[in-house]
Amino acid sequence: MINLTIDNKRIEAYPGETVLQAALRSGVDIPHFCYHPCLSLAGNCRVCLVKVDGRPKLMPSCNLPVAPDMQIESETEEVLAARQAVLQFITLNHPADCGICDKAGECRVQDYHVKYGEGEGISAELKAHKPKLKPLGERLLLDNERCILCSRCVRFTREISRSNMLGIVERGSHARVTALETREFQDPYSDNVIGICPSGALSSRDFLYKSRVWYLEPVRSVCTGCARCCSIQAWRRKKNWHVRSLSSELNRTIYRISPLENPEVNGSWICNKGFDLPKAMARERALKPLVGGREATVSQALQQAWQLVSAASLPAVVVSAHASNEELDAFRDTLALQVTVYTREDCSVQADEVVEDDFLIRPDKNPNGYGVHQRFERHSFDPAAGHDVVVIWGELQDYSPFAGCRLIQLTPFLPPAGADVEVLIPIAPLFERSGTFTNFEGKDNRFQAVFDRAPLVQDAAEVLRRLAA
Amino acid sequence: MKAANVFFNFEITGESHTLDAYRNRGGYGALQKALCSLQPIDVQNEVTASGLRGRGGAGFPTGMKWSFVDKMSPVVYLCCNADEGEPGTFKDRWIFEHSPHQLIEGVLLAAYALQVRHAFIYIRGEFDLSWRRLKEALAEARSAGLMGEHILGSRFSCDIIAHRGGGAYVCGEESSLISSLEGFKGYPRNKPPFPAVKGLYQSPTVVNNVETLSTVPWIIAHGAAAYKEMGTEKNSGTRLFGISGHVRKPGLFERPVGYPMKKFIYEDAGGIEGGKKLKAVIPGGSSTPLLLPEEIENLTMDAESVQAAGSMLGSGGTIVIAEGTCMVRLLHVLTRFYAHESCGQCTPCREGTSWMDKIVARIAAGRGQSGDLDSLERITRGIMGNTVCALGDAAAMPVAGFLRKFRHEFEFFIEHGCSMYGGRLEI
Amino acid sequence: MSCLKDKFDRYVNDGGVPEGGLAPAEPVPAGVDLDAFDALRKTYPEQMASSLVLPLLQTMQEAKGHLTESDAVFVADYLGVPAMQAVEVLSWYTMLYSEPVGRQVIKVCRNIACSLLGAERLIAHLEHKLGIKAGETTADGRFTLMLVECLASCGTAPAMQVNDTYHECLTEEKIDRILEELP
Repeated sequence: MINLTIDNKRIEAYPGETVLQAALRSGVDIPHFCYHPCLSLAGNCRVCLVKVDGRPKLMPSCNLPVAPDMQIESETEEVLAARQAVLQFITLNHPADCGICDKAGECRVQDYHVKYGEGEGISAELKAHKPKLKPLGERLLLDNERCILCSRCVRFTREISRSNMLGIVERGSHARVTALETREFQDPYSDNVIGICPSGALSSRDFLYKSRVWYLEPVRSVCTGCARCCSIQAWRRKKNWHVRSLSSELNRTIYRISPLENPEVNGSWICNKGFDLPKAMARERALKPLVGGREATVSQALQQAWQLVSAASLPAVVVSAHASNEELDAFRDTLALQVTVYTREDCSVQADEVVEDDFLIRPDKNPNGYGVHQRFERHSFDPAAGHDVVVIWGELQDYSPFAGCRLIQLTPFLPPAGADVEVLIPIAPLFERSGTFTNFEGKDNRFQAVFDRAPLVQDAAEVLRRLAA
Repeated sequence: MKAANVFFNFEITGESHTLDAYRNRGGYGALQKALCSLQPIDVQNEVTASGLRGRGGAGFPTGMKWSFVDKMSPVVYLCCNADEGEPGTFKDRWIFEHSPHQLIEGVLLAAYALQVRHAFIYIRGEFDLSWRRLKEALAEARSAGLMGEHILGSRFSCDIIAHRGGGAYVCGEESSLISSLEGFKGYPRNKPPFPAVKGLYQSPTVVNNVETLSTVPWIIAHGAAAYKEMGTEKNSGTRLFGISGHVRKPGLFERPVGYPMKKFIYEDAGGIEGGKKLKAVIPGGSSTPLLLPEEIENLTMDAESVQAAGSMLGSGGTIVIAEGTCMVRLLHVLTRFYAHESCGQCTPCREGTSWMDKIVARIAAGRGQSGDLDSLERITRGIMGNTVCALGDAAAMPVAGFLRKFRHEFEFFIEHGCSMYGGRLEI
Repeated sequence: MSCLKDKFDRYVNDGGVPEGGLAPAEPVPAGVDLDAFDALRKTYPEQMASSLVLPLLQTMQEAKGHLTESDAVFVADYLGVPAMQAVEVLSWYTMLYSEPVGRQVIKVCRNIACSLLGAERLIAHLEHKLGIKAGETTADGRFTLMLVECLASCGTAPAMQVNDTYHECLTEEKIDRILEELP
């Protein structure tokens, strides 16, 4: 370790670290726009300038290697003056449109301006105009007037997603971020740029004007889009900001998804499928138990299901790859002892979807295949085995292998019309349950319930335990 | 002070730029000597001993720059910086047009010292005759066995690739030149790492100015001691000094370093146009702070003296401004230039240069406001020392200098909405 | 190994780079001489393909007058560098034209040394003579008048270029003669 001091505070740094990295790790907040731990060094924003003992000029701390006994000052008058000057340059042509900007409340430009900027503007010039809210493909909007040209998004598409879809054209004060005009904007990871943008320049077309961010709070969850099991944050309305006069559905809405940093699993990124998770979950829910296609009470449905299983000559359960490890354990210790257990992939690759790449996206489009196969042998349902009663756990598209069987289904979503399900018991979808998935590399990843379970919706583990009794 | 000529040592004719002419005046003798009898390190030592300093503007000792390069690195690159663009400077052009082989020999000597296989000459895109003369000279050198495999039958092989710029002042900054040569926008790079450690395509790279490299053959031919005899103690040799603006005989002169500025203006350049009085001198290209007549009274043209006077010798381009010139409109010419040439990468320069230009343009249009001058000074302070490369300082220094020395002209313009000198630039 | 179902062809990959490179093959733009491209490429060390972005764009512009984004994308594909890199380069260097220009591009220096010796007067003269403002092109497509920064002609100021050719120590009369002699 290398010892240095920042503002008279002793700090230990690793060899090869920069002053900014060491400072941030030690809880000294040196402001920065362009530096991002996962991206190459740009050194262009100049807001992280610090004073190094013995050097005449201020140095950008993001490009300053630590050295033994280095003395760094980040709060002297000189440093603060330079920081203020840089912030003044940044806000010179930045519109004062925080009132209608989705980024307000979690915007670095705003935060630093309040914290370090000068109250009064000295510019007498008109602000420069650049393209505003220009669509980048179907998902993003780019506002060049809000952009501070930190190049994080450009470096992201160059170094992380490697789509090279964004660049900075023109020079001097005319410089602006842009996409190609002659090629379609395509990047399966594009929405990550919204989060890394330190200003409101890049915003989501989906989230646009949906909510002020300070009404929202994140809940730790896991993307079920593929076997990577990326950590995500699902944003819901804060309890004290629940709406009363408007639709109460707004209080049970996921407003947006953002990546949650998880070095073991997904680093700082997720793919666009993850950002779209609420949309994927917006299918018609199974909210009431059905017996023989007719609404029934929970106890009626459970009773009927129990009778079917108990009376069956050769019962089987098809396990869901969306089940959590906790649910799988409950099942393994109870009903699984009494029935034949089959495994399956609930979801398969959809058209227009990235099958697999060398970054995050995995070909298995289910979150917990690993957890399932840790507990149960990989074993596809055998229609010829003569099962008379089958419990289908999870969603199902193709019911044909189960023709002739009496079906009990535990599912969060309504089965397709014509599905011959004798007993349907609604169970909680991802956002209404807590648990753990194990990703394809064997890493456990925990998710928490974003909302309470809907009134008649059941806990799958409990249902399976009851069926075994 | 002894003075030989490193450059102006032949008569310019329609043929004097050719290989034959160059050889007839002893050209490529230094290369022959080096390849036959000197080790690469000897060449470097000789240049170090000569005290040669970079002629591009910063004045860094050339031999020391070479010594930073890890010679064991599998690849070392040499780039000749021929992106001459500092307003007031027109010396490299002369070398290309009249003595291109002198540069090629210099490049080859440096390449030999640094063990470079591929050297690049990054030449300004606008240059026309220079470009053609360089291409011709390279072709001549290649067919004479002076370039390519086994130069002059030795074990040393080197190719020189001439690369044309695309019109960007900032590409004269060495790391920007490297970005440009790699096929990108000419964004300057953060240092560290310095080019000598990680430059072109991440390999150790030396970037030297045209005049610097063209001086090397003379040093190898005549010896470091002979070179050191010229110039001043800390700044040896001669330099190509350009003089332009309001003088009777503008042009390029080779003079020993330490030559008196007044003599340069009043004797070599024939004095001020129309016998007018001198108003100010920009001593080393447009980025350097201007000096008043009393400040050049005993000034000599070497880095130390000019620095002591509060400016810099830079690229050695003197711009002379006569009495009666409107300094407000003249500053606008410069702010417009720097705003146009800011690469757009780092915040202070990108925003600051165009902001300064807008304010100066407004003042020069008669719409100045009280407080504008304070704002300008503040902006210069916000830029200076805070940018990725030196262009920020280059843009801010003239503004600071003009305001410091001619503030009353700006105040007059703001108060009356018109120039003290009828807005004249030409006299 | 990356792959993708259906259209996302950059990711479709089951065992190697598809024939013709990763990017879709663009038709060769009119006026582009691929042999000239190949010849130029051979003059640079092989691993330095990226360095050729600017030289190839310059070569292309000589043939086409001005360049579009598609041209830049073509050059990038030819070299195997990201299209965006060439598009950035096209927009950034002042000598690359993204808009059509006249057959004679007159570039007048307006920097300090030329200004001190009458650049403004000469620019006004040219504007009057050509009937266009700086930055414009004559209706017949013959002349474009541009104002440029220092041409390194300070010792022979004022200066201008017509296409590549330098004209120095200019006066109104000299400009008139130059214009008359142009094709």
